[in-house]
Order: sequence, then structure tokens, then C-alpha cells
Amino acid sequence: MYIDNKKVQDLADRLSSSAEIQGRSLWQDARHRFLKNKAAMISLITLTIIVIFSITGSAISPWNFEEIDWDAMSDVPTLGVPSIQSGHYFGTDALGRDLYSRVIQGTQISLMVGLIGSFIAVIVGTLYGATAGYLGGRIDGVMMRTVDILMAIPFMFVLILLMVMFGRSIYMIFIGIGLLSWLDMSRIIRGQTLSLKNKEFIEAAVATGVKPLTIITRHIVPNVLGIVVVYATLLIPGMIMTESFISFLGLGVQEPQTSWGALINEGAKTIQHGTLWQLLFPLSFFIVTLLSFFFIGDGLRDALDPKDR
Amino acid sequence: MSLLEVKDLSVRFDTLDGRVNAVNGVSFNLDAGETLGIVGESGSGKTQSVFALMGLLARNGHASGSIKYDGAEILNLSEAELNKIRAEKISMIFQDPMTSLNPYMRVSKQLTEVLIHHKGLSRKDALAESIHMLDAVRIPQAAKRVHLYPHEFSGGMRQRIVIAMSLLCRPKLLIADEPTTALDVTVQAQIMALLSDLQKEFGTAIILITHDLGVIAGSSDNMLVMYGGRVMEYGNIEDIFAHPAHPYTMGLLHAIPRIDHQGTELVTIPGNPPNMLRLPKGCPFEPRCCYAVKDCKSIMPELTAQQNNRSRACHSSVESLL
Amino acid sequence: MLNFIIRRLLIAIPTILIIILLSFLLMHSAPGGPFSAERSLPAEVLANIEHKYGMDKPVIEQMARYLWGILTEFDFGPSFKYKNQSVNDLIASGFPVTLTYGIWSFIFASLIGVTLGVIAALKHNTWLDYLATGGAIIGSVLPNFVMAPLLVLLFSVYLNWLPGGGWEGGKIQFVILPVIALATSYLAGIARITRSSMLEVLNSNFIRTAKAKGLPNHYIILHHALKPAMLPVLTSLGLSFVGMITGSVIIDQYFSTGGIGQHFVNAALNRDYSVIMGVTILVGSLTILFNLLVEVLYAWIDPRIRY
Repeated sequence: MYIDNKKVQDLADRLSSSAEIQGRSLWQDARHRFLKNKAAMISLITLTIIVIFSITGSAISPWNFEEIDWDAMSDVPTLGVPSIQSGHYFGTDALGRDLYSRVIQGTQISLMVGLIGSFIAVIVGTLYGATAGYLGGRIDGVMMRTVDILMAIPFMFVLILLMVMFGRSIYMIFIGIGLLSWLDMSRIIRGQTLSLKNKEFIEAAVATGVKPLTIITRHIVPNVLGIVVVYATLLIPGMIMTESFISFLGLGVQEPQTSWGALINEGAKTIQHGTLWQLLFPLSFFIVTLLSFFFIGDGLRDALDPKDR
Repeated sequence: MSLLEVKDLSVRFDTLDGRVNAVNGVSFNLDAGETLGIVGESGSGKTQSVFALMGLLARNGHASGSIKYDGAEILNLSEAELNKIRAEKISMIFQDPMTSLNPYMRVSKQLTEVLIHHKGLSRKDALAESIHMLDAVRIPQAAKRVHLYPHEFSGGMRQRIVIAMSLLCRPKLLIADEPTTALDVTVQAQIMALLSDLQKEFGTAIILITHDLGVIAGSSDNMLVMYGGRVMEYGNIEDIFAHPAHPYTMGLLHAIPRIDHQGTELVTIPGNPPNMLRLPKGCPFEPRCCYAVKDCKSIMPELTAQQNNRSRACHSSVESLL
Repeated sequence: MLNFIIRRLLIAIPTILIIILLSFLLMHSAPGGPFSAERSLPAEVLANIEHKYGMDKPVIEQMARYLWGILTEFDFGPSFKYKNQSVNDLIASGFPVTLTYGIWSFIFASLIGVTLGVIAALKHNTWLDYLATGGAIIGSVLPNFVMAPLLVLLFSVYLNWLPGGGWEGGKIQFVILPVIALATSYLAGIARITRSSMLEVLNSNFIRTAKAKGLPNHYIILHHALKPAMLPVLTSLGLSFVGMITGSVIIDQYFSTGGIGQHFVNAALNRDYSVIMGVTILVGSLTILFNLLVEVLYAWIDPRIRY
């Protein structure tokens, strides 16, 4: 998953230079522009529907996600097809389990990984970057050098390793993905902090004896919030892809729990048997959600950055 | 016949927020070797007028009217035809020397490519001519420094390079769009002096765009005052400075801080420039004008000829402004 | 320039060393790992490792031996799983495969991506631009693990044009699907970045100057715009390269191509730690070297970067 860092960087520069002049109206303007962006609004609605579906969708299903329909299992290609009568709205998987309920379960897990993963990344990245940028000097040098080194470590390989070493669990995925993907975030925030550091209001805070930690949390972090929001939105689909990648290899969530990656993997294994729905249902959810996040992130960036219009 | 005859030039832009009429019915003449100063606040349409002339309008811009260079129509020519005029007959200096040179290309190539392309010179001859021109704009050690990149020069030096670049083909008309705005005051004076020296040496006509009346005062023959995309007043510069005949020009002249009028307060024109998306039906300056009469709000005053080759667009008579 | 490269190398080498040490320590602390007390390895393998590292020696010495082996003989030690195989054997069998489809994917993604991006920017707001941009947006949500089954479904199951897996020494029909599957999302990303960066350059003041100089359009694009527009693209090429190496894990798994990705996953499942370490170090070093290359290219294009 690509995040166009240069664009985000440009936006960051513009936000930090205009923050003083425009003040509150920056956010109002942004909201106005975002509401006018059709693709972003449609995506937001789509995403809301998917979230609501993942929470309430199981109420109308006679099957739960781990129950095996022994009848369907005996002949999945014919008895497991999607149908209203059998109660398998999306058909069954190769083991005769209800795909509709499994997709809901997978949606919950995948969305959760995306949200929690990027939440961790944002918190760690913002604090790390703001600290490095604010303290500056040798500490900054060491901290950013560390980030450079960590960046060279093949992230996905380490994640696979962590899953193998410490056992597969959804928590391990949260922690692993979150802790390994704050690096870009910290770089961007550090750059922002460096440019904010010399602004008058920070100097005023220093002059009145405010402690560094308070300056970082009260003055620096709120001023980089716009860029954080945009980046976090763009980070979520990346997180979802990473989790799906791991789960596709069979190293992610453990049965009977599932996620989009695991479902796509199972569907992909059986395509030669003609059970196409097993691939296409989870795949459509995956693609539509990712596209939605993508357009929302783009919309947010354009909304906060009028130049591109 | 004048070198340049601009008649009823209008420029409009179609934007997402609606149509912007940036320039409305601008007319002026310019003789060979003369200097015309165009004055106005930012957004008054002065830059877009000359962009139309050079064919440099943004994609959503559209120009109408007539621009004749040496008697031939040059407005809305094809790119290929424009490229025979640009740099060869008319060239342009832009406002910000820090960004108007290509930072990824050596100065030598940025200069020689003009000569190679337009004059068909060999690389070697083009380089010699470029160095010669850098000497003419007084860049020290030009032969050595021509091979540097733009970022290795100071702002003033970069503007000299831009000027040298614009004069390479000896064009008869040079358009300078706020050539000194981005520079330090002392450097500004040097650049203006250089421009007027070069004008004498090469006999170039100059259109000088600025919002700084001080810059125009020392260097122009005629001046054109623009507001809200329209010409407010046009005429000989000394006449206008001595006897401004439009409330806006008067306001501008009063707003210049003067060392010989000590103790008086600096006068400003109250209010803000007009919103170009919703220009009033009448005179754009009416909301800020203290001489406004009844018609000003609804009827745009025509640009009417006065004595001494001057013209003005105002409903109030000259006498009533005194 | 040479000075710059040397200085960058001087930073890159310790970084590689740190990666080696980090991965060793990680292995060492792994519960049930080969270096821990309660290991359950086949007797012959155990003997191999004993011989190689001396498990009774202190950690520091084991680490030093490991490092020394890599640095002096490029020797990553014996496998922890198979008694007759060394890590080098596995890498030697898998790496050429990964390299083959990896390089083709990289060339495919960067050439087509850059071309599409440039065309979209030059034809800004025309149907060509919309087509390319739309394609790029869809492409960027089609990662390798989505593309792989879709391609197999279309070209192997339905059309029956290309084999759905295998390698056969890299015959062309076995290479095509892995290359497309691996390249698609990166191609899309490169196209998007190229387009936006090209648009930005085309709107810059120095391009306006070039136009005012009466230079023809194709000359301006080729000589003035292309180089600066490539700067952000270079960075994204670095990211793509890393992504493609990582993607080999999926490609090898799905297409059974037998590259290092496959060895890595097998090793991870079998807890064959020395293979895991070897592959991680190899990929990490490649990443560092590739980033070095990107930085050098960057400095070569942008004269304002001091070296």
C-alpha cells in the first residue's frame, strides 16, 4: 500500500505555515470542502454501512461463524451455494460453515486490526517524532538514526517471525503491526515539529517555564493534528493489507476466527472446484473497504490542502 | 505604427466557483524603445494581461480582443507560432528569480538552449554569446560561473541571469513582471538601473509591471493604472504624477510615504480590493471611492480620451476631484 | 560524488551489522529456540550446531562466531531442520528464482507505471488521464495476494492459457503470472506518484519560464520537467523494491515457485531459525543497498543536495 509521502509532506508544510493566520476557520473550511467531495462522501457512507453490517449483520443469520452445516459439507459445490432458503446468504466455505457469518466475523477482525494498528502507530509515531524534533541535537540524531536502521529491517519478515515465535494471536497482530509501522509517521511529525519549534508561541511557552513534555503534548501535538488525521486514515488500509497478507499465509488469526486475508486465502485455494463465491464475497468486502478508506483519506488531504483543487 | 497595439483585451477564467473576469477591455500602445509602467494592486489583472500577450495563460483562461505586434495579430496564436515570437521578439522576466530558473539545470544550458533553438547557433557559439550576455548584466567571472547551478547564486544575481536570458535574442519588447519585488531594496535599485542601461544599449521597449509607484516613477514614459481588471487611467507618467485625474490614482499617490512631507500621516485607501468572482456592475472602485456619484454603482464609466494623450475612466469630472 | 557514496557506505555497513546482531539476539531469546536450553533437535543437526557455534560457550562468543562466518565466508551456518542442508544451499536454490521474477516485476512496474503517470499528467483532465488514474486507484487496492488468485482464476482455470503454478527453471509461461501479480499494486502506486509529481512540476515557475523562452513542448518535458518529476518517484521505487521482496513470500506460496519466500515461510513454520536469520539478513542488506542506490541517484539528479 502506497502512501504518497511527498504529498502528505507538502500538506504538512502548508498546514504548519498557515495555522497561525487561519486559526479555527482552517477546520471549518476543510469540513466544507470535504462535504463537497463526492467520492469521499460516497466512500464515507459505504464505510459506515460496512461497519454497521459488521456489527448487526449476524442478527439475521440462522448460522454462526463456527457452526458446520453437515449437509452442505457433504457437497459444497452444489449444496453450499449462496441461497436464501438454506440460510447461507453468501454460501458456505469448504468445511460447510456459513460464509455470511464468517465474512462478518472477518470484517470485524480486519477493521479492528486496521483501527487499532494505526492507533498504536499514530500514538507511538507522534510522540517519538515530536520528542526527537523538539529536543533536537544529538538526541534527535540518535533517535532518527535508529528509525533509519529499523526501516531497513524487512518488516513483514519480522512480523512473520513474531507470529511464529510468540504464537499466533490477534493481539500479537495488533501489537506487531502497530509497533512496526510508526516509523514513517515519526519522520513526518519530526519534520513538522522542527518547523513549529521556532514559532513564537512555542518560544513564549518556553520563556514562561513550561516543561518540555507539556509543550510537546499541549502545543506541538495539537498543531500537527491535521496531518496526523490524514496520515492515520491512509494508514488504516495499509494495516488491513498487512494483516490480510499474514493471514493469507495462514500465519494470522487462528481458526475458527477469521479475517479477510484468511477468507481470501481459503477462497483462492478452492477456485478450481467452481466455488467462486468463496473468493468473491470476502474479496469484494476487502476491495470496497480499501477503496473507501483510500478516497476518504484523499478527500481529507484535499480538504485540508486547498491548493490541489 | 506602434510596436505593440493592445485593443480591448479581456481575459476570463472558468473556475469551479464560477467565471472570473480578470481583465476587462484593456487598451494601450507602446512605441519601440519606450517604457510603459502598469500599476495596480495584486489581483488587478496586470499580470494576466501580459500572460495573455505571451500566450502563458493557465489552461482554463481565455483571452479576447486584439494584440498587434509590428502590425500583426499575435493574440491566441498556436503554440508553434507563439514559440517564434517568444524570446525572439518578446521576452519576459518573472517576479521571483528564486523559482523562475530551473534548479536542476546548469545556467549554461538554460542560456544556450535559447540561442541553439531560436538562432540555430552551435553549442560553442551559444556558450560564448551567453557568457557575453552575462558580462553585459555584470555578473563577475561570467565565463567560470556560467557552469554553476542556479542555487549557487544570490537572488540579485539570479535575476541578472534571468534578464540576460531574456535579452539573448535581442527582442524588441521586454516584459518585466515585478522584477524587483522579491529582492532586497539595495538590489532593487541595482536591477532597475541595469534594466534602463540595457534598454539604452539594445533599444528594447519595456512593459514594467509593479505595485510600487516608486519603481515606475524613475523608469517609465507612460503609465497605466489598473483596478479590478480595468484601466482606470492612462497617460504620460509625469502628467499623471503631477495631476492625477482618477480617485484611485490619487489614492495611490497619497499612499506613498514621502521624505519631504514630514509629520503628515500616511494615507491609505480604505476598504479591500474587489472580489473578482462578483465584480459590481458599475465601477469596481466605487465601494472605496470618496468621490462616488449616483451612476458609479450601476454604470461602468468608459475610458475616455483627454488632452495630452491621456485617458481616464470616471464619472466625476476632473474639476470635481480637486 | 565518490566521497558521498563512500560516506553512505560507511553508514550502511554498520547498519547491516546491527541487523545481523539484532536478528541473532532475537533468535537467541526465542522460547524453545535452537540456542535455548530445552531444545529438541535431531541429534545430527545438534552436532552440526555444536560444532559450528559451540553451544556451551558464552552468548558473545556464539554471536561472534556467527558474525565471523557471515563476514569472512558468507556462511550462514547449517539448517536447524535438515541435517544435510546449509542455509547457503537454500538461499542458492531460492534466490535466483526470486531474483528472476522480482527483477521482471520491478522493471515492469517502474516502466509502465512511470509511462502511465507521465501520460496522465500530460493529458491532464482528459479521458486518458481519467482512465489511467482510475486504473491506478483500482490497482492500488489489488495487492499480490488478491491478484494471484484472480489471475489464476482467469488465465489458468477459465482460459487455460498459462500454468497456475510451478517454475520449471523459469520458462516464460511460468514467469508471467507471478510477475503481474507481484507488480500490479506497485505499478499503480508508481503511476499515481509520477502523475502527481509531474503535474506539480509542470505547474512550477521554471516550466513557465521555459515556455516563455519559446521552447517547444516536447523539449520542455524531456529536458526541463522529467528529471525533477522523477525525484519522488525514486523514493517510491525504493519502497516498491522492498515490497516486492516481501511479496515473494506470497508469490512463492501461491505459485509454488520455490523462491526464498517459500524457504522463509517453511523455515518459520518449522522453526528453522538459522534459515530465518539468513533470509532476514539477506533481505535487510539488499534493502539497505538498494536505498543507497536510490540516494545516490537522488543526489545525482538534484544538484542542491550536497555531498
